[in-house]
Amino acid sequence: MQFKDYYQALGVGREATADEIKKAYRKLARKHHPDLSKEPGAEARMKEINEAYAVLSDTDKRAAYDKVGRGYQPGEEFRPPPDWDENFEFSGTGYGSDAGSADFSDFFAELFGRMGGRQREAGGRQSEARGEDHHAKILLDIEDAWRGVTRQLSLRAPRLDAAGRVTLDTRTLDVQIPGGVREGQLIRLAGQGSPGFGGGPAGDLLLEVHFRPHRHFRVNGRDLALDLPVAPWEAALGAVIPVALPDGSTLKVRIPAGAQSGRQLVVRGRGIPGHPPGDLELTVRVVLPPADTPRAKELYEAMARELPFDPRATGGD
Amino acid sequence: MRKGILIAAVLDDDCLTLDEFARACAVRREWVIEHVREGLLGVPGEEQERWRFGSRELRRARQIRRFERDFDAVPELAALVADLLEELAELRAQLGSGRFD
Repeated sequence: MQFKDYYQALGVGREATADEIKKAYRKLARKHHPDLSKEPGAEARMKEINEAYAVLSDTDKRAAYDKVGRGYQPGEEFRPPPDWDENFEFSGTGYGSDAGSADFSDFFAELFGRMGGRQREAGGRQSEARGEDHHAKILLDIEDAWRGVTRQLSLRAPRLDAAGRVTLDTRTLDVQIPGGVREGQLIRLAGQGSPGFGGGPAGDLLLEVHFRPHRHFRVNGRDLALDLPVAPWEAALGAVIPVALPDGSTLKVRIPAGAQSGRQLVVRGRGIPGHPPGDLELTVRVVLPPADTPRAKELYEAMARELPFDPRATGGD
Repeated sequence: MRKGILIAAVLDDDCLTLDEFARACAVRREWVIEHVREGLLGVPGEEQERWRFGSRELRRARQIRRFERDFDAVPELAALVADLLEELAELRAQLGSGRFD
């Protein structure tokens, strides 16, 4: 297990005051908060920052960390001496009451998970309590939402061993996700969260659905949006155009005569299936054939000569 | 550790009660009640026993809790940021920027 330098994580010195630590945390939280930042790795960085702040903002934990961490460098192999936490009195469990314990590192679990375990032992008989709910995100393809899919998930969760120490387990679940799920929707796996205490029931696992970007389709709820390329004569004269849907089926869509680029067509109920199903939103994009042969040039020249058309005068695009 | 195939239930088909919702957000039930009474979380109906919470409210509530915790934000401000982020996500989805979070 590698030593973590919580002072370095927050960019403060070892002598920093509580106020300086709070300011440094706030500044970093604003930059890396996963709700606000779009940078890749923001979530992992925020976990580090939260973990560092959970320790350094708590007088007891900070003192214990300072004692055990003296002389260690970041990344250095770390093994706490036996009974290093003797004579420290900790309020609450090792994990902060608000912090998701699964979010913290093995290093944190080794140091402060153990404190929680001891306190529980010292507290005598445990009362019955339901396990915590766990949250995770799941990334699906649009096709999966259409049909439903069975997915294998690997999840990390803390577990209290017989000695009262917290260890992080990796477990693999095969999960059947029903068809018709929407972006941002939550799906629940009953009893797959933390185990309960004292015979209490286990918590649930809640998965938040997100879609991978698709080559052609954009998703908004259950609505699907698609740019529909059409030839100038299809747009001008009207046409019936086949549109391939994510489930492999083909839908024939009628383009009205005179459709301009940017015109939107909605096919009700042909988006992602569900109750109610989403819509299919098509945006017409007129694509010009290249004038790269004598014949093509001739045809364009004939149109230029024979059609009284000024796109600027009609406000066309 | 492997188990058989688990069947996932869509939350909005079977919404959460007040206690289930508080547990899923890792907050006290009083926190939820206060936020509903202040109009920061939406529920259909007046009677607490009949409150039911779906995906959107759970996502919002967890965001609001994070802003309150991480920035010491007052609930109204935390809810305002959650609203703006939701709107931003919708606009991004409409634009098809490929970044829906």
